[in-house]
Amino acid sequence: MTTMRVTVGSLAYSGLAAIQSTSSTLADLQARLSSGNQILQPSDNPSGTVRAMSLRSEMARNDQYATNADDALAWLSTADTTYSQTVSVLQQARTLVLQGLNTGTNDATANAAVAQQINGLRSSLIALANTSYNGRPIFGGTTAGGAAYDSTGAYVGDTGAVTRMVGPNMTVPVSGNGPAVFGSGSSDVFAMLSSIASTMTTNPAALSGSLSDLDAAISRVSDAQAGEGATYQQVQNAQTAQTSASTSLKTQLSSIVDVDTAQMAIDVTTANTAYQAALQTTASVRQLSLLDFLK
Amino acid sequence: MTNWFAGIGQAMSGLDAARYGLDVVSQNIENADTAGYTRQTIQQAAVVTPPLSGIYTSRTAQADLGGVTVASTDRSDDPVLDARVRTEHGVGASMDTSASTLNMLQGVLGEPSSTGLSAQLSAFWTSWGSVANAPDSSGARTVVLQTAQTVAGTLQSLSGSIANVATQTSASLDSDVSQANSAATQLATLNGQIAIGNAVGQNVNSLLDQRDQLLDTLSKLVGGVATIGANGAATVTVGGQALVSGGSTAALSVDASHQVSVGGTAVALTGGSAAARVDLLTNTIPGYQAQLDNVANTLVAQGNAIQSAGYDLAGNTGAPLFSGTGAAGITVALTDPSGIAASATPGGNLDGSNALRASQAGSSTTGADAVFASLVGAMGSASALANQQQSTQDAVVSNVDALHASTSGVNYDEEVSNMLTYQHAFSASSRVLTTIDEMLDTLINHTGVVGRA
Repeated sequence: MTTMRVTVGSLAYSGLAAIQSTSSTLADLQARLSSGNQILQPSDNPSGTVRAMSLRSEMARNDQYATNADDALAWLSTADTTYSQTVSVLQQARTLVLQGLNTGTNDATANAAVAQQINGLRSSLIALANTSYNGRPIFGGTTAGGAAYDSTGAYVGDTGAVTRMVGPNMTVPVSGNGPAVFGSGSSDVFAMLSSIASTMTTNPAALSGSLSDLDAAISRVSDAQAGEGATYQQVQNAQTAQTSASTSLKTQLSSIVDVDTAQMAIDVTTANTAYQAALQTTASVRQLSLLDFLK
Repeated sequence: MTNWFAGIGQAMSGLDAARYGLDVVSQNIENADTAGYTRQTIQQAAVVTPPLSGIYTSRTAQADLGGVTVASTDRSDDPVLDARVRTEHGVGASMDTSASTLNMLQGVLGEPSSTGLSAQLSAFWTSWGSVANAPDSSGARTVVLQTAQTVAGTLQSLSGSIANVATQTSASLDSDVSQANSAATQLATLNGQIAIGNAVGQNVNSLLDQRDQLLDTLSKLVGGVATIGANGAATVTVGGQALVSGGSTAALSVDASHQVSVGGTAVALTGGSAAARVDLLTNTIPGYQAQLDNVANTLVAQGNAIQSAGYDLAGNTGAPLFSGTGAAGITVALTDPSGIAASATPGGNLDGSNALRASQAGSSTTGADAVFASLVGAMGSASALANQQQSTQDAVVSNVDALHASTSGVNYDEEVSNMLTYQHAFSASSRVLTTIDEMLDTLINHTGVVGRA
């Protein structure tokens, strides 16, 4: 036989197979289109699925960097204000010392008043050194206590550093180091101011050496502030990098998992046409047989 | 010399053959849509009675003509194609089962999504970042424990879902085996009827149709390989062991370790849905379950290593975060948020560097995230491959089905055309009978009446 016999069964098979195949294509496209997802299950694109999972976790880490950077900037701004105020307090102390030197030993009452002022400045300095952010003293390292310095001016913080991770492998310190900013041991600014205040009442002329000490203390704070400024800049740069990384990650993820709506619209129309054609031919072809032409 | 009345008998045989032809046409048309029905055709043969030697030899040129007879009623089947259809159906059933079960398994994972285990692991690691930022915040610490609970709970439920798929597959395997046993029993009965029918010359075509359907069922279920004997009875072997032989059957069984046996002898199935189910139950599903257990064990090791490397809020070395083994057994052991080892140094300080390290653990290439990603990748690839093979096999199956339908199916045009042929044959034979009748009438009633009034 040269031509294939067409039978009731074979007609039904081919018609049904065409209808099922086109309708399953249509159903698949509709599922994608209505969910907006290109990948409905891992088998749709196994490597894309794994990539999408890794991109999502990278995005979560990136979001964490953004939170960390905001927190770091808040710590650093608090420190910045404190540094400026500290410098200003130390400069006032220097002015008072100069005043004491000029007055000399002649006016004990005036010297006592200056000494009292210096003690007052010392107290504000201790308060500044205990500046806290979110309940934690910014110069106290990682101490669990609420203060970096006690009322006598002794350091009660620890040597740890508070750090924030603001980018991949980019960790910055956000706390100031108390002893590095305010001096350590007997040479710290609190001891120095106490000694200046007591010398002021006894022998102001001996204070000439204290001016250079104060200058050294001021420059220590300024250096720390400059360092903090550099870190601030670094965090801001990291934030910019994080924002562009975030955009790039979103774009990459979208290109993998999101449907291309325009392409999908064309595909759906094509599939729909194929489905209608399959239905129509099946319906019309099976209508006739020789019986229709016999009388 | 032929008998004067022989023509009547011949015409009678023509009428009979035409009537039987119409019977077969009718049977074909009525069963055009019957599943498994094979079109039947009649073979007619002219009957010639050989001259009897020694009696009359002078007129041998006029051999005795005996009319027509129906030599046989054939089934329009092609045994080679039938065997090929069975084989492809067996392979197709195996692939359909693999693909649908693998799809079910990957559906269990629920990836890729923003809510699956992968996203939950991300949230868990990220929660450590918040603790690093605020080691004194009990809220941030509580979130670590909560996200750890979520991850552990999801691992448990994933493990349970995979075990459910295994249970369902095992139940389906049992059902395959019991259906195959019942088909084997029916086949053995049919074998007996076919053998007897053939021996006594009965038309056994409809029994053969039933036999072929059972053979197809056995191939789809357990990859039964059939051999058709000379008497029409079928022998079926499964994995090389005889399941049905003539009128006797061996029992097909499956044990708790999913080993299929025929008559007590263990066999390796080569086709049918049962073969796919045995492979899924003994290799694929336990493999995935082991990989999921590996995810859980890696997470337990990671979480506990982080804890033991750090110090909790009170300054003590961190206690284990997770306990248990395997995805089904993982639980969160730590209940006190202050027990989270955020600090890298002892002494009860507010250092967060250990927590910071933990927040980066999600990117580890040997961590739980990576192990889970490779599981999802493996499942996705296996499923994609199975779907691909299934659609290829589907094309092969519809091709052989179409060939089979074309060979064995009924075509109305053909039947109607045969119907017309038989109708005309009947009319023509009737006309022959009428003509002979008229001739005899002439001979009997109008001969020797010359001169009568």
